[in-house]
Amino acid sequence: MSQKKRITILRYNPEQDEAPHPECYEVPWNDTTSVLDALNGIKDQIDPSLSFRWSCRMAICGSCGFMVNGEPKLGCKTFLRDYDELHIAPLENYPIEKDLVVDMAPFVERIEAVKPYIIGNDRTVEQGPNRQTPAQMDAYHGFSQCINCGLCYAACPQVGLNPAFLGPAAITLARRYNLDSRDKGKEERMALINGKDGAWGCTFVGYCSDVCPKEVDPAAAVNQSKIDSGASYLLAALRYVKGGK
Amino acid sequence: MSARKPYIRPVTAGWWLKKAPYRRYMLREATVLPLTFFSLCLLAGLWALTRGPVAWAGWLDFMAQPLVIGLNLLALVGSLFHAATFFLMMPQVMPVKVRGQRLPAMQVAAAQWAITLGISLFCLLVFVFWEGV
Repeated sequence: MSQKKRITILRYNPEQDEAPHPECYEVPWNDTTSVLDALNGIKDQIDPSLSFRWSCRMAICGSCGFMVNGEPKLGCKTFLRDYDELHIAPLENYPIEKDLVVDMAPFVERIEAVKPYIIGNDRTVEQGPNRQTPAQMDAYHGFSQCINCGLCYAACPQVGLNPAFLGPAAITLARRYNLDSRDKGKEERMALINGKDGAWGCTFVGYCSDVCPKEVDPAAAVNQSKIDSGASYLLAALRYVKGGK
Repeated sequence: MSARKPYIRPVTAGWWLKKAPYRRYMLREATVLPLTFFSLCLLAGLWALTRGPVAWAGWLDFMAQPLVIGLNLLALVGSLFHAATFFLMMPQVMPVKVRGQRLPAMQVAAAQWAITLGISLFCLLVFVFWEGV
């Protein structure tokens, strides 16, 4: 562990600083050292005041999202061996609370807003589990792999430009439940997807899918939702004409 | 009292210059600029056609200017680039499945290029045949 790498971290202490500032650290590393290991090393050995979120260390909890050299990454899934020098910053498009900790509340509120649960299924426990064919499950399974890490919001320029935009993960989750054969809540969710901060706020930059650590492909879900939205608009228009109004 | 003082990083007008994927995206969107010029040229041609032989000859002269040819070549390259990105994104928006298996994006893109080529060839043949009559 004699070799060392230079890591620059964007630090911010809300009780002392007016704005974030970079601080440099020399950290020992080997081929197995992840960014998260390095941050824990800095916290243990150099500066205990460094703040960051983490939990599982295996890309499943989605807590340790950071900007690594300008790219949204999971700290536990990113390794020092792949970089000559590292610049670590809090996830972009989120307010910074302290150091690498960002305010995830806007993200969680959007996830909640799309009602990410099965709606309108009156099946009782006595009737046993809902059955699905492999094809029915395949329809939504890819989109259900999201771990809510929020990297896609850091990647999406539309989130940065319009903080009210529903964003990739929330629209993907809505799509995931809309595609589920057990669910009947599509109409409830489409009100939000059709709205001005819904799917149409996306301009298909596609970077959200590039950075997704679980290969969920949110760009696909969001743009498939536009087709849904178009169809729901057309149906509403037809109903309007048929109603003779 | 809360010690919270969330810091919000401003988004500057040059946000798209900062990352390669953003620059590629803006390049894709910018192809609309030479295409707008090409569309205006076509509209002017239609207008000239209704105005008689003198106006039509004037439009032909305008279209033969090196700058106009250059801009229209740029529009052609731009539209081909846009089509390339569009064809690759299409399977994300409308996944094509054959016997339950999702077709790879490259195969779907290749099929779309084949259709484009077919239609272009058809138009070219009609044009050549028309000239011959």
